[in-house]
Amino acid sequence: MKPILLQGHERSITQIKYNREGDLLFTVAKDPIVNVWYSVNGERLGTYMGHTGAVWCVDADWDTKHVLTGSADNSCRLWDCETGKQLALLKTNSAVRTCGFDFGGNIIMFSTDKQMGYQCFVSFFDLRDPSQIDSNEPYMKIPCNDSKITSAVWGPLGECIIAGHEGGELNQYSAKSGEVLVNVKEHSRQINDIQLSRDMTMFVTASKDNTAKLFDSTTLEHQKTFRTERPVNSAALSPNYDHVVLGGGQEAMDVTTTSTRIGKFEARFFHLAFEEEFGRVKGHFGPINSVAFHPDGKSYSSGGEDGYVRIHYFDPQYFEFEFEA
Amino acid sequence: MPTGDFDSKPSWADQVEEEGEDGPAPRHPFPGQPVSNFRCSLGSPSSFHATTRVLGISTDAPLLRGGSYKCVTSELLKGIPLATGDTSPEPELVPGAPLPPPKEVINGNIKTVTEYKIDEDGKKFKIVRTFRIETRKASKAVARRKNWKKFGNSEFDPPGPNVATTTVSDDVSMTFITSKEDLNCQEEEDPMNKLKGQKIVSCRICKGDHWTTRCPYKDTLGPMQKELAEQLGLSTGEKEKLPGELEPVQATQNKTGKYVPPSLRDGASRRGESMQPNRRADDNATIRVTNLSEDTRETDLQELFRPFGSISRIYLAKDKTTGQSKGFAFISFHRREDAARAIAGVSGFGYDHLILNVEWAKPSTN
Repeated sequence: MKPILLQGHERSITQIKYNREGDLLFTVAKDPIVNVWYSVNGERLGTYMGHTGAVWCVDADWDTKHVLTGSADNSCRLWDCETGKQLALLKTNSAVRTCGFDFGGNIIMFSTDKQMGYQCFVSFFDLRDPSQIDSNEPYMKIPCNDSKITSAVWGPLGECIIAGHEGGELNQYSAKSGEVLVNVKEHSRQINDIQLSRDMTMFVTASKDNTAKLFDSTTLEHQKTFRTERPVNSAALSPNYDHVVLGGGQEAMDVTTTSTRIGKFEARFFHLAFEEEFGRVKGHFGPINSVAFHPDGKSYSSGGEDGYVRIHYFDPQYFEFEFEA
Repeated sequence: MPTGDFDSKPSWADQVEEEGEDGPAPRHPFPGQPVSNFRCSLGSPSSFHATTRVLGISTDAPLLRGGSYKCVTSELLKGIPLATGDTSPEPELVPGAPLPPPKEVINGNIKTVTEYKIDEDGKKFKIVRTFRIETRKASKAVARRKNWKKFGNSEFDPPGPNVATTTVSDDVSMTFITSKEDLNCQEEEDPMNKLKGQKIVSCRICKGDHWTTRCPYKDTLGPMQKELAEQLGLSTGEKEKLPGELEPVQATQNKTGKYVPPSLRDGASRRGESMQPNRRADDNATIRVTNLSEDTRETDLQELFRPFGSISRIYLAKDKTTGQSKGFAFISFHRREDAARAIAGVSGFGYDHLILNVEWAKPSTN
């Protein structure tokens, strides 16, 4: 396959996300630029200008009308997807680490870092209520006292938030009351990324403890583990096959003598049920920070520490590949 | 307003279509996808002809799409020389004259964009980009989004991918791994691992358990070699070496695979450590082998004579100026019996198209 290389960022990529139909790919990085690309040919549609610091997270609503980004400049911004205009600016006390639209696209949540004396909070805003945005008052704010939240997604049907913490715990917070519904600790180190399956019944967590784990969304029951020798920065589930892709690698500063070979950092494909690796794709020049599957399962993208995003359309061998147990 | 449709629609797209209909979703051409980037340097007009021929070779279209598009596109591009897309005569490229303007030629569904540029060194470059124009079907919403006006940093971008931001990378293929063992080995190490694991290696010449190249082992030697191996405690499978490789790690440290310096190896002569010039070199155990081919090396001789016993010294006669082998060598064993066996074993042996001649070395006339 000939991957399309997107060079829209000057710093390392922090997150990439497809919109619901998969025709647009949003990429954010440690530079203040938010890019959106057509995933079919890699053509850039536009950039959302306004952030002044590293952008940690991005999300698009189901309709691809609004885009939400959270940044280290202590703000979470809402943009109009088509024009690039900034619709709302929500100032926070510390860097915004994760953000997301709920299923209906009306409620946004974001989590802030534990920084400068401020605790880690998860804030909820209802977009249908303009007073909340204007006054910058969320209708609910969940404090989290122990380790800060490093990754969070909306649960199925917008009923809960599934959050991964710096210490490796997973918490399920109710979106109505804010209390902790379920708590599990399966990972030993920081959870870097959480991504849901297409039907939202399960999710995969990528952790610094060199594993990625599969969980059930409602009970948070641990189902499968995928082991690697490197910290896993991101994991994504294929929407139509039993495959999961893991992207990882050591932090840039930790790499001393290892892997100076060009393009060696690989995205690894595991079989979901057998927990075994069946494929690798090379190409990145640095650790992969974010992976995402296209909603139709025919392609995937990965964004790396090198600042490049690569869109890969699978060869027929991938679709014909049968895992021999 | 033109919109597009997808061949494979996601299931919920159907629902979108069913809602408010303005008729079936019409078609819409995508401005094009980058297919290949091609750069060639144009120097003097005399070299011009050569470069146009180079342009005739087009690279394969990247296979951006799954499904039926794939085969058609690459074959299509293979068949079309770029020249047919550009029937006008090549513009004059006189040094110093202004560059010809960029051209776009659309030939069927292949769009060829030709641009001229001057490099920092003053060299003129002709850049040919080939795009494949595809018409795809997509759901209404997707098609509508395709027609959005560009904004932000891309505001002034022309339709189609911008070279500054989007390039087609080199081919990578997914390496499929079927078993866990494959995970850990690199390609370079693969043969090594295979070797180490293998116990059965057969020589083409004598079917002994060693590599064919430079095989000194006739059937008669097979059992002798095995004896030796048992004596030294080596497993038979570890006798083989890759051609050109030096002596393998000895029995005592074999399993760990660590490097053992020659002086500590089994059968090594400690005298090798001393720098004293008493190089008697076991005169009584020295043999001379002649009629060697010129590309025989010390290592080959090592391989050849090693099974007969521990070697003290190998001297391959070489021309001082050219470094080429003169065709003979002196092998000194530690024990005379080994040397005797070597003479018996290798004499008359066919080695690399020549029959070797082995006999006792006459003492040097110093």
